[in-house]
Amino acid sequence: METRKLYNRISILRLERGLSRKDLAEMIGVNYQTVGYLERSEYNPSLDLAFRISEVFGLPIEKIFSTQPLRPLSEELFGTGDEGGD
Amino acid sequence: MDMRNSKLQRRIGVVVNFASLALFLVIYYSGIHLGWRPLLLATGAIVTLAIAAASFLTVHVSTGLWKLGHSHIDKLDERQIQVTHEALRHAYATFTVIALAIIGFNAVAGSHGHYVFDVVLPVILVYVAHVLPASIIAWREKVV
Repeated sequence: METRKLYNRISILRLERGLSRKDLAEMIGVNYQTVGYLERSEYNPSLDLAFRISEVFGLPIEKIFSTQPLRPLSEELFGTGDEGGD
Repeated sequence: MDMRNSKLQRRIGVVVNFASLALFLVIYYSGIHLGWRPLLLATGAIVTLAIAAASFLTVHVSTGLWKLGHSHIDKLDERQIQVTHEALRHAYATFTVIALAIIGFNAVAGSHGHYVFDVVLPVILVYVAHVLPASIIAWREKVV
């Protein structure tokens, strides 16, 4: 079975919380280089690791990972402005 | 750019490491069988072994690959386990090819009455078998 690329928001969520890769790595129990591989979508986490990341950020897994390119968070939260929002 | 982040530098280091060992074997066995002067043989052997040692320290020790390859599995995260598993798989295949080539060469040489190799070659092969997985990781991984 071919492995699909998983897109993710780990980098932006980490930076929002002022965490370094080493900080996040310690929180999820991996080597800090693995955090880099995850952020670059060069490594797909196991289900257990994906859940640990989800628990650290307090977000559902599907808001962090996707098999399709993720829209910017600002767009998800506030729309593109074309829909006539506030 | 340091070696941990430069795949090109690590690949050069791996090539230098194995090439210097191959050159050492060529110098050693040529010297023995062709009757080189002892000083020339010793100089060649020492220089090639020194290059091999320096490249080993650069590629394997300074990058932490030596530690990665000798860590207990409990100390590795899931990605590191996957990487070392893949490296071991490729290392076994590569080492088998090298060993078969040497056995074949020795069999052909032996059929003409010239068994070429002594204990030096097995020592080098033990070293090769030991560092091959880490060399493969150094060769393939983006960051180590």
